[in-house]
Amino acid sequence: MQASGKLYQWIINIVMLVFTFFCIMPFWLLFSASLTDDMELVRSGYAFFPDKISFSAYHYLWNSSSDIIRAYSITVLTTIIGTTLGLTLTAMVAYPLSRLEMPFRNTLAFYVFFTMLFNGGLVPTYLLYTNYFDLKNTMLALIIPGLLMNGFFIILMRTFFASSIPTAIIESAYIDGAREWKIFYRIVLPLSTPVLATVGLFYTILYWNDWFNGLIYLTDSHYYSLQNLLNRILLDVQFLQSSTQAGSRNADIGANIPLAPMRMAMAAIGVIPLLIAYPFFQKYFVKGLTIGAVKG
Amino acid sequence: MRKNKFVAKTLLLIVLAFAMVISACGNGDNKGTNAGNDGKTAEGKSGNSSGELKPVELVMVFPVGGEPKDLKLVQDEINKMTKAKINATVKLVPIGFGAWAQQKTLMMSGNEQVDLIVSGLGTYSQDVAKGQLLELDGYLTDKGQGVTEALDSLDPAFLNATRIDGKIYAVPSIRDLAADYGITMRKDLVEKYNIDTAAIKSLDDLDAVFKTIKDNEPDMIPTVKYGTSILDIYVLSYFDNLGEGFGVLPGYDNNLKVVNMYETPEYAEMLNTVRRWNQAGYIAKDAATSTETQYNLVKSGKAFSFISHMKPGIETQESRSTGKEMVSVHFKPAATATTNIISIMWSIARNSKDPERAMMLLNMMYTDKDFINLLDYGIENKHYVKISDNVIDYPQGVDATNSGYNLQMGWMFGNQSLSHIWNGDDPELWNQLAEFNRNAVKSKALGFTFNADAVKTEIAAVTNVQNQYKIALETGTVDPVSKLPEFNKQLKAAGIDKIIAEKQKQLDAWAAAKK
Repeated sequence: MQASGKLYQWIINIVMLVFTFFCIMPFWLLFSASLTDDMELVRSGYAFFPDKISFSAYHYLWNSSSDIIRAYSITVLTTIIGTTLGLTLTAMVAYPLSRLEMPFRNTLAFYVFFTMLFNGGLVPTYLLYTNYFDLKNTMLALIIPGLLMNGFFIILMRTFFASSIPTAIIESAYIDGAREWKIFYRIVLPLSTPVLATVGLFYTILYWNDWFNGLIYLTDSHYYSLQNLLNRILLDVQFLQSSTQAGSRNADIGANIPLAPMRMAMAAIGVIPLLIAYPFFQKYFVKGLTIGAVKG
Repeated sequence: MRKNKFVAKTLLLIVLAFAMVISACGNGDNKGTNAGNDGKTAEGKSGNSSGELKPVELVMVFPVGGEPKDLKLVQDEINKMTKAKINATVKLVPIGFGAWAQQKTLMMSGNEQVDLIVSGLGTYSQDVAKGQLLELDGYLTDKGQGVTEALDSLDPAFLNATRIDGKIYAVPSIRDLAADYGITMRKDLVEKYNIDTAAIKSLDDLDAVFKTIKDNEPDMIPTVKYGTSILDIYVLSYFDNLGEGFGVLPGYDNNLKVVNMYETPEYAEMLNTVRRWNQAGYIAKDAATSTETQYNLVKSGKAFSFISHMKPGIETQESRSTGKEMVSVHFKPAATATTNIISIMWSIARNSKDPERAMMLLNMMYTDKDFINLLDYGIENKHYVKISDNVIDYPQGVDATNSGYNLQMGWMFGNQSLSHIWNGDDPELWNQLAEFNRNAVKSKALGFTFNADAVKTEIAAVTNVQNQYKIALETGTVDPVSKLPEFNKQLKAAGIDKIIAEKQKQLDAWAAAKK
């Protein structure tokens, strides 16, 4: 009995180790490619342990740093502002929806739900944000469109509020003289740290990884975020590869595009902060989801 | 009572939440520029009627491969010049090639101000069909005589090739408007192994060359792909691809009878050659999937040659791109088709706030030497220095990697032949290029632009099939004897015949209207 249990443990551990290995491998390949000499990379391709280690890619990033550092700070800034704003607004919409006394509760909930299924399409969205809100080429274009509120997160939070905050607490706070605002930020929010951390992490990842808004709303490179910059470079490379229009001058265009190790190095410095942040968030992440499920 | 109060408060809360979103949007720091634009609109319009030129801002949108650092400096210089000449300022909006298709479409579909824009790049007929480009004939005769003269001095066929239903919606930049075809090889190795370049007359003469390289330089790939495959560009030496390549004109003539390129004996023959090369190991094993450019491959010393399209001065250009001295052998004569011409053009967008002034700016791009050189090479003594009257080079301490403005896209901005010659190029380059353009074989269908709207679904289906087979076949990765018929069968099932029939119909109508 004991022996078979141990064997079972061993198998599980080995499976998990293999799985972990497969998760880490791509990152390792990325790091090692960023450390490979650029011409070596063309000659012999990607390797887990490069023959010739070269820091030239990181040198290049450091030397042409003004663009990269600006892009990095834009990413950090939009992530902080976006996550804070997004979390605040999501909680403020989700909480009333979780209260049974709320009038038109179902109608409003459906309104939120509806946005999860349908959207206006790219061109109308673009026209709205550029022609009516004038978001083109501003920082706000990276914060507001599509990211600030997300129907799924609202519903996730509403479910948590509805199932994990006992109505009795709210009622007793009310009897003790607290008003809605106070109940919300002194009672409900402190009890909801798991879901706040969960959704907060979702928002952080969304903002950190977002390149699409930058791609369509920005033409001014001043506001490019790191992911957007990286994505543009990759798209340009792809274009050079694939465009077969007769007489297209792929030849002359490639000069300004950084070589593969530089791109890998950019991806590497882009991913590090999230890798660091993730373990700290993770405990809330797990807890947040189970609490919602178990007590519901 | 209490309950009502609560209801009111919660409602307020929601309203507040939404109001925050909306007000945040409204408070964009773009107000200033917006007001500015409105002002300019009014000014521009009144300027037209009075004859006196009122100041306007023109927005010029073009694709780049990486935005240059000193773009703003160059823009300021340009503005000094345009302010003096046509009382307009220019805002340069470069867009990365990768993001081009999406951003261009979005910018054109809104009310965003776009005056001059690079059109072509494969979407000319769609853009015209969507009504996004202004008809230029009137503006050209009125304010753009310089453009017409510059193009017509080469051959009136070039400007006429842009006509759709008899109207001009874009003007091609003056560059290599035709292409000849051949192979570009590393010069040092050609000399080392005494390769007789004069003996190379066709693809089949290359076997011996590749064998020499393969035998003597075991680590080197004799030939690498250019574009997506070995033949990707080279097939155009046999066919006018009439737009997207489904339905082509063999020999740039074929009496205007459209055929399926993948069923022609020439194509099958080329595939056999490439397959033979692949079997002999003259092509990299990963050729079908590799994403490395031919330039990087040659630069790293891994590749010997590539087969491509060419123009005068190709050797120095490719030597610069690869960092190795290259030698080219041309074995297919120069030919030109509509696609060569409409690949890079300039248009005035429907959204233009002042089309007349935009045409005046365009006219400058075809006639004003100083303006062209500023756009092409940047500021004198900062981004380039003159080493003789019209030959230029990098200033001391500046090179391709640290120059603040090194677009090297003279072929895009209007009339390239007015620009300086870069050191190392033949001083007679622009004359050679003009001759090259004049003497190129003109396709019988020159000027025909296929409108694919009627067969959109078929094109999508056929493209899918093409993506499955084309690269594998054209890199010799699969055997054409069995795969080419399979490919053709699938193309038929996807509806390629319908595309060809539609193209033939349009081509016949075009030819009839031309008579």
